[in-house]
Amino acid sequence: MNLLQRLLRRARMEKELDDELRFHFESQVADKIQAGTSEAEARRTTRLEFGGLDQIKEDCRESRGTQWLASIAQDLRFGSRILAKSPGFSFTAILVLALGIGVSTLAFSLYNLIALQTIPVRDAATLVSIQRRSPENNAPGIPYASIAYYRDNARSLSAVMATMSVAPMVLNHEEQRINPSFVSSNYFIELGASATAGRLFDPAHESSSGAAPVAVLSFRFWQREFDSDPSVIGKTIYLTGKPVNVIGVTSQAFANLGTENPDVWLPLLQYAYFFEGSKALDDPQFDENILMWGHLAPGVSPSRAEHELLALTGQLRKLYPAVIWDHERILVTPGAHFFSFEDGMPVLAFAALLVLLILVVACANLGGLLLARGVRRRREIQLRIDLGARRSRVLRQLLTESLLLGLLGSMAALPLSYIVLRLTLVYANAPAWMSALPDWRVLIFTAAMGFLAALFFGMLPTLQIVLQKKERTLWHQVVVCVQVGASCVLLIVSGLLVRATLHTLYTDPGFGYEQVLSLNPGLSDHGYTPSTAESYLDQLRSRLRTVPGVISVSMAQNPPLVNTNVMIQGFHVDGRLIKTYPNWVGPEFFETMGIPLLRGRYMHAGETHVVVLSQSLARKRWPTEDPIGKEWSTGKDTVVGIVGNTRAMELNNSDATEIYYSLSAKSLPRMSVLIRTAGAPDGLSPTLQQIAGGIDPKLFPTITPLKAGFSKSIGQIEQVATIISLLGSIAIFLAIIGLLGLVTYAVSQRTKEIAIRLALGANRMEIFLTVLRRFAWPVLAGLVTGVALTAGLSQILRRGLYGISGLDPISYLGAITLLIAILATAALLPIRKALQIDIARILHSD
Amino acid sequence: MTTQSKFDLPQGTLDLLILRVVALRPVHGYAIAQRIQQISKEALQVQQGSLYPALHRLENKKFLVAEWGPSETGREAKFYRLTTKGRTQLKNETESWARLIEVVGLILQHPQGETT
Repeated sequence: MNLLQRLLRRARMEKELDDELRFHFESQVADKIQAGTSEAEARRTTRLEFGGLDQIKEDCRESRGTQWLASIAQDLRFGSRILAKSPGFSFTAILVLALGIGVSTLAFSLYNLIALQTIPVRDAATLVSIQRRSPENNAPGIPYASIAYYRDNARSLSAVMATMSVAPMVLNHEEQRINPSFVSSNYFIELGASATAGRLFDPAHESSSGAAPVAVLSFRFWQREFDSDPSVIGKTIYLTGKPVNVIGVTSQAFANLGTENPDVWLPLLQYAYFFEGSKALDDPQFDENILMWGHLAPGVSPSRAEHELLALTGQLRKLYPAVIWDHERILVTPGAHFFSFEDGMPVLAFAALLVLLILVVACANLGGLLLARGVRRRREIQLRIDLGARRSRVLRQLLTESLLLGLLGSMAALPLSYIVLRLTLVYANAPAWMSALPDWRVLIFTAAMGFLAALFFGMLPTLQIVLQKKERTLWHQVVVCVQVGASCVLLIVSGLLVRATLHTLYTDPGFGYEQVLSLNPGLSDHGYTPSTAESYLDQLRSRLRTVPGVISVSMAQNPPLVNTNVMIQGFHVDGRLIKTYPNWVGPEFFETMGIPLLRGRYMHAGETHVVVLSQSLARKRWPTEDPIGKEWSTGKDTVVGIVGNTRAMELNNSDATEIYYSLSAKSLPRMSVLIRTAGAPDGLSPTLQQIAGGIDPKLFPTITPLKAGFSKSIGQIEQVATIISLLGSIAIFLAIIGLLGLVTYAVSQRTKEIAIRLALGANRMEIFLTVLRRFAWPVLAGLVTGVALTAGLSQILRRGLYGISGLDPISYLGAITLLIAILATAALLPIRKALQIDIARILHSD
Repeated sequence: MTTQSKFDLPQGTLDLLILRVVALRPVHGYAIAQRIQQISKEALQVQQGSLYPALHRLENKKFLVAEWGPSETGREAKFYRLTTKGRTQLKNETESWARLIEVVGLILQHPQGETT
């Protein structure tokens, strides 16, 4: 008989047990009667001899080995009855748990979606992303020539794909811009994609640069731009002025590789058709934005592929000596994930820590609530123990109740995190295959969190109840301490982050952005050389200067707040790493941007090998000396001037370590032009477009008001602030609930004492303070621990804090004050109730 | 209170006695208690409180199987029968019990074992 059968046959076994014992009883009675006792007397003595019949049965069930399961079922039934009897408590407890578990479930779901789940493509397990690394270089892209070489020679890869993302392109001569992605012709076939309408790229058709130019639309773009009209297939659209034939639409569930969400896919081989003069595919040194993907051949491990590709790299080195880096390595990593965390580990760990902290606060608070309720249940538990229930049995019953709560909490957490995740995905315009529905990993995670939380919050208060410790115990103080400490950390961290965010939003970025436009002609994309770029830029600038309303025109490689990818250079100085934000700028840059000169001079036109530093960088490099005239780093560049700090590249950059290089001929094809206007610059775009196109009609410059970039950055920062505030509010809510529970507990333990004191004429205020004083030490210990922990954490936090110290007094004092206020408020309610008690009734109750 | 006796029954001994009694032929619980009482010349009185849990434990360990059948009084009773596994267990337990008695006796009878 297996366990299940035994469980199913429980009723029958119960009856058999009953029959067996009855038989014994009757036999014993019969023997006594035979020995000459009267029947009544025989029954009486036998019953005495038998003792507790139920106890015997219980022992039999126990020895049968199924008892634990049966009793869990029984405990669960009892537990649900108990929970249903106090709906207020149950609701609060489940809400607290749902919030605590919900936050961690949400975080895990997000992590699961972007890093654990594979995207829905064919043979996801063998899909790999191929990158190269060297001790000095960390570029995601690989030159197309190298990709082609690997494709032709690698035997460990059954297929090689290439993708290339570029700046938005102009659609149909309008100002509207769409996001294209250039892909190799085998892209869709290798991913197993199907078309909603028309067909997708096929190596048979799109295998040469001379083939008819075609485009595949994304499902969303097709919906948005063409109202899902199937007749768009075969039509011609214009991208950067070039006609292309729409041949198909991807399915709604198609998963693009990488994090981009393109509107349209174009054959990589036709790149030069759209960007006339481009050398992207021909120049073996051009590696910008071209990514390499592949499918591993059957049975090949990523490390074997890495070995083979590295050997091929050795041969490539002979072909293109300048292209391959020193000590180049090849990385073959699983490619079927939306995102892989390589550099994000500290941030991820920090986020996980915060989320766990919320769970700990929730658990500690629930522990407090359970303690408080335990007082009310003391009589019931005492009664059960007096009636002969074993302590272990009562303990198990109480733990089962905790587990039930944990389970309910998990169940409530799931829809909560589903809703938030769903909103997040819609808001973030996530790909259609990303579903907010929890998968098995999320379900297991949530259940595990519920279980752990139940053990954590259930174990110690339960022990205390069962052991009937009436005195103030160490555990009680530990609960208060943990609760206050964890709440403290959460509140201070939220405070710090919100304050840093506000600081970012409301302080001057250090440069004038309202009246500046950035114009990126995209010269390098169209195959401009340094000399052709120079003549184009000279013409463009002199024509722009004649436009009415234009005050100043200059150039920069990285126009502030425009690029989403921020360039960072690190320098080692005396063993320390200094992180800098480099930019290559023309001499008028500072004037156009309104960045003040503090010392020295700006660079002159045509001057090379001079640099201008931000004040903050200069101070970092030469804390005590005068930097003017010093050589920067490699010794090639001389420092000529110090300018004001800006947050040009990242608004929440706290370091402001900008370095401005003078222009070299090599950098000219990558230049953007910055234009400062007298009034609002908004209406100027068509004029600028006309001027730029007038010089070279194949260019379609990208024009961005810096104000737009600024608002975008601010928008992101505001989102972060909202999330943090939300977490902070949850922390405050949990703190209120938990402390309320604990104070109620403390007061209910002393109701009698309060009554006696009141009867003896004690002052109510005195009693209030006496009760509060009980919390003084654990609260103080909690606060100190919390503050110390946060101060330690703030070293990690520092990266995300702009303009405020990790020890910002306002955040710390604010959190402490808030906690004490919450404690006092939480104390008022139960104590008020206690003070209104009927003294006589309490004193008579025992 | 597990077993009412003139002396305490060591842990696990009851199981051995039950196996021994059941080894002769299938018997019901009441008869087992009677038999042990009888053979021990009333020195051991097995209480229901320890007998039945032990029986169920042995059944659970598959040393015993139980069947319902008519008793000598005509009432239906649950009869326990020794399994092959139970027979092996009885043999092993009996041997180790005998060895234990021998060894303990040796030590107790040894003059140097006495404390002064």
